[in-house]
Amino acid sequence: MLVELKNGETFNGHLVNCDNFMNITLREVYQTNPEGDRFWKLKECYIRGSTIKYLRVPDPLLDLVKDEQTRAREAGRSARGGPGGGRGRGAPPRGRGAARGGPIRGGRGRGRGG
Amino acid sequence: MDSLIPFTTSGSLVDCVDRKMLVVLRDGRKLQGVLRSYDQFANLVLEDTVERIYHQDVFAELKRGLFLIRGENVVLLGEIDLDQEDDVPLRQVDWAVLEPYHRQEIIDKKHRDEAKAQILYERKGFCKEGGEGDGY
Repeated sequence: MLVELKNGETFNGHLVNCDNFMNITLREVYQTNPEGDRFWKLKECYIRGSTIKYLRVPDPLLDLVKDEQTRAREAGRSARGGPGGGRGRGAPPRGRGAARGGPIRGGRGRGRGG
Repeated sequence: MDSLIPFTTSGSLVDCVDRKMLVVLRDGRKLQGVLRSYDQFANLVLEDTVERIYHQDVFAELKRGLFLIRGENVVLLGEIDLDQEDDVPLRQVDWAVLEPYHRQEIIDKKHRDEAKAQILYERKGFCKEGGEGDGY
């Protein structure tokens, strides 16, 4: 994924981990300065969430995450089993990072054309 | 008028989900994309995002894909009227052609704003931006 910081620097790499503050660690990183004329290669780096402007991720990720959440919900449901499932909404698995590990949680509309 | 009703209740983004939105960032970028989700910080997931730059009566676009935007960098969010969005009174050109002009415009604007901010600070006692307390 590509991470652009508030100062315009960009980091291209693989997401290793993230937390609720959007702090992230990346591996095999290509860093570029804001002007776009200097490059560095870093084996790994840590980026503080508060410095991030935005992240650009591969297009198929949205569908992958949706499938993962559906599968997790189904797995949770069958594991709990029987009537009176209690919580009524399978808790999403944590600790995997990915694009979902951050604060994005709610607000997904269904069946509404763009 | 009936499309204004969702926006007159509490400040929620749920009515913007799955709609094509214009996002303006603090760095001046103008992005258009389908809002897929948000959270309590107004971090946004924007799908099929297109970045647009303008110069005089001309504009250029660049496909950017899937974005996760950190909420504090967003200036505004506006819904794009799909019926009107093609009625643009501007001519479209290639990104590579327009980009240098746009870049120059940004540099000029930056100088003007810096000069303005300095004068306001010195003569009128305005605060300078980018201070410690500005972030979340």
